[in-house]
Amino acid sequence: MTVNPDAYFAVATLLFSLGILGVISRRNLLVIYLSIELMLNAVNLILATFSRLRPDEGGTMIALFMIGVIAAEAALFLAVIVQIYRKKQTLDSDAFTELAQGKRL
Amino acid sequence: MIEIAIFTLLALGVMTGGLMILLGRRPATHAMGFVTALLSVAGLFALLHQSFLFFGQVLVSVGGVVIVTLIAILTVNLREESLPPEPHATRWLIGAAVVVAPLSLLLYRALTSLGDTFPPVSDTFGGTRSLGTLLFHDGVLPFEILSVLLLTAMVGAIIIGKKEQSYDRKS
Repeated sequence: MTVNPDAYFAVATLLFSLGILGVISRRNLLVIYLSIELMLNAVNLILATFSRLRPDEGGTMIALFMIGVIAAEAALFLAVIVQIYRKKQTLDSDAFTELAQGKRL
Repeated sequence: MIEIAIFTLLALGVMTGGLMILLGRRPATHAMGFVTALLSVAGLFALLHQSFLFFGQVLVSVGGVVIVTLIAILTVNLREESLPPEPHATRWLIGAAVVVAPLSLLLYRALTSLGDTFPPVSDTFGGTRSLGTLLFHDGVLPFEILSVLLLTAMVGAIIIGKKEQSYDRKS
């Protein structure tokens, strides 16, 4: 008796949906960042399940690369969050609109 | 049978972590939810025979990204009043859920159409040896590009995170 792939796909889909919900519905920059991380991890889980389903280790390889990309993304995003908080004393995502208007941080 | 029990536990962990991030108010709650979700995903990797991916997830995501996130949370040292006001959080959440639900159903249907049973695999599947061979036969170029990307991200994070920007003094 083993778990079938549908269950893994269900978990990954739910995790991805939670991530989208966090990005859409919250204004806290930290929550948006963590939601993006959740979505990336959901994609990783889907890739790992594919790789087990084929079975072919190419998916595992892409998932490994994605872990590296997640690390790079985390470093940059957190640096931006810390810098914005230092200048604005807020974690509101509206603080980002000044970047779009060409003002310096 | 025991596999189903472990899977259920890990799936519950993933959902709990995601909901803690989505619904939580304090940064500490978010961080705990983040750790829970990442560790549960690592456990799911282990259930899928992806041992190398499991260790990569535990070492890089749980050991690295979570620590960096915690350091950032501690650095900004949030006060309650500097959190953005979210007076209509529930309304936004329900509206977004209505929008997202069909999309996720579509995603689930598309994913599950690909196969319904896991084929048996050898013991070496997902291990260091087979994955390393594959990585240095087929994935050398992405691997090197990734190393350049990581270096760039490190330099960029240092430059963005500097206390005093050089252009601040000129302008």
